[in-house]
Amino acid sequence: MGELVKGRLESSLPGLRGIVADDKDQEHALVTREGPTKGDAEIDQLYAEAEDKRLLKTSLLLDVLNISNVLTDGVSAMVDDSFNKCFTSTRPEPWNWNIYLFPIWVVGVVIRYLVLFPIRVTLLFIGFNALIVVFLLVDLTLMPSKRKMAMQRKLVQWMCSAWVAAWHGVIRYHGPKPTPGKNRIWVSNHTSMIDYVVLCSYSPFAVIMQLHYGWIAFLQKRILSSLGCLWFNRTEVNDRAVVAARMKDHVNKEDAIPLLIFPEGTCVNNEYTVMFKRGAFDIGATVCPVAIKYNKIFVDAFWNSRREAFGKHLFRLMTSWALVCDVYFLEPQSIQPEESPQEFAGRVQAMIAKYANLRIVPWDGYLKYYNLGEKNPGLIEKRRRVLADVLRAYLGKTSAAPSAMALAKEGKAAVELQSDGKGQKGTSSVASAADKKDR
Amino acid sequence: MGQAASGGLTQGDVDEVIAASKGVFNQAEIESLYKRFRALDRGHKGYISPEEFLSIPELSINPVAQRLVRCCECPNFTTFVKMVAPFSPRASREDKLVFMFTVYDVDGDGFISREDMSMMLKQLAGSSLSEEDRQDIISRVLAQAGGAERLDFPAFKSALSSADLGNMVVEIPVDL
Repeated sequence: MGELVKGRLESSLPGLRGIVADDKDQEHALVTREGPTKGDAEIDQLYAEAEDKRLLKTSLLLDVLNISNVLTDGVSAMVDDSFNKCFTSTRPEPWNWNIYLFPIWVVGVVIRYLVLFPIRVTLLFIGFNALIVVFLLVDLTLMPSKRKMAMQRKLVQWMCSAWVAAWHGVIRYHGPKPTPGKNRIWVSNHTSMIDYVVLCSYSPFAVIMQLHYGWIAFLQKRILSSLGCLWFNRTEVNDRAVVAARMKDHVNKEDAIPLLIFPEGTCVNNEYTVMFKRGAFDIGATVCPVAIKYNKIFVDAFWNSRREAFGKHLFRLMTSWALVCDVYFLEPQSIQPEESPQEFAGRVQAMIAKYANLRIVPWDGYLKYYNLGEKNPGLIEKRRRVLADVLRAYLGKTSAAPSAMALAKEGKAAVELQSDGKGQKGTSSVASAADKKDR
Repeated sequence: MGQAASGGLTQGDVDEVIAASKGVFNQAEIESLYKRFRALDRGHKGYISPEEFLSIPELSINPVAQRLVRCCECPNFTTFVKMVAPFSPRASREDKLVFMFTVYDVDGDGFISREDMSMMLKQLAGSSLSEEDRQDIISRVLAQAGGAERLDFPAFKSALSSADLGNMVVEIPVDL
């Protein structure tokens, strides 16, 4: 039991090892079965406390020279880390390795690439283009009206079905079919761009997606926009506020087409789930969770955007036997009175993770795009300050952590004094003055 | 590194790496480390750049991340394994101490001088420790560690003679 608890706590403070758990710490687990629990400032504090607990504080010599703990943290992260696990595709076990199975596999390859693929591509080409033509016709000729919108929705649904047929999708839908309703928003876990197609072929959705490049952009802007889809750029900070406002607009419309959000913000490999961003949970709407689980038996549907282009991903799907998938439409959830939007997001994430059999990881999916230490230097500084306090204690100084203002002043004063050429005494009096002020 | 066409390891490579790391890893661990190396080395260049290391979130929030990453400049696979070797449960205490000494010795001259300690303390304790306090601490440490102006490896080793390095172990995940 002790072993189990220790393991869970070690992973709850990623990047900081060697903490022995006791009951008090269990309350502080960053990620419980109900989802992520803490805000940023609290997480910083947890790291500081854990660091403090870890320091042995035996002697000045050891505390300064014994850097084994931070080195172990670092090398441990180099060897394996929980973030990258979310984006690895598991290599399928080769089964064609003997003289009996190999020819069968070759036959299979021939059929898939030379028979199925051309048939699928041709049918898709014909079907999809025909539908696009009809869609554009409808778009250009009819006046905006309820009927026009209904027709466009039907057409998009057929287009998506054409794609699903091209991959020979075997998709089972569980749970009640979504119906448009006021103040409702749908959220789902994200594995690939085809998530949207899989859902849309069953029931039409509007979606908020990252605006891509090339031919996908054409599809996005021309066709999906008519459904009321919203586009954004994840690196644009201002976009988020705009998108939040438009989300609110959309769900408040009468019989608005259901809006689908992927709160993870990035494609994850369908074994793990990264932090759900709170945007969709913050607008006061009822959240309808959708869980999508792909069966990797014939093909791995995870689109690793760092490793392969979307075209190659589609090619891989179209040259496999089938795409097997389960979609669960879950019970709508509302935010509880004492819950914060982040906690609400965590709760919904736990529901989806249960149905789709995913492991929850406390990292923000956007970490794919930026360096955490650079973005959040406060955390590192907090950890450093813990050691600084311990070291200062050896010198007989107080261990009260100076406030940021005092630190800035101290730093500036120290620089000024040094440039003035004043002696050591001047600096130390500033330091102790700053300490005294904080007490 | 003799790479096969599919980008895999050959037995010769594995033997070479095991020899270079003094045999602390078995073949399964080397294979696992190789998979990890390939995952980190995005462009398949044959070495891992500092940016690729720092894109690991758990590493980037480590106070001494910069020093660790610069310690082995752009490691190829053999160097990567040698870096992880002291953290194997089969590594000797001597190896662990050597590694710690190498990290601490920033300028790489074989001695931990005042400048080395000052730089490391800046990374370990941050800016909340004033320059004066830092120098004071360094003086005391040098005094307690034998009184010399800089520490050589034997002095470092004896200073840490009472330290328990049992925690300095990293488990290599091996797929069974």
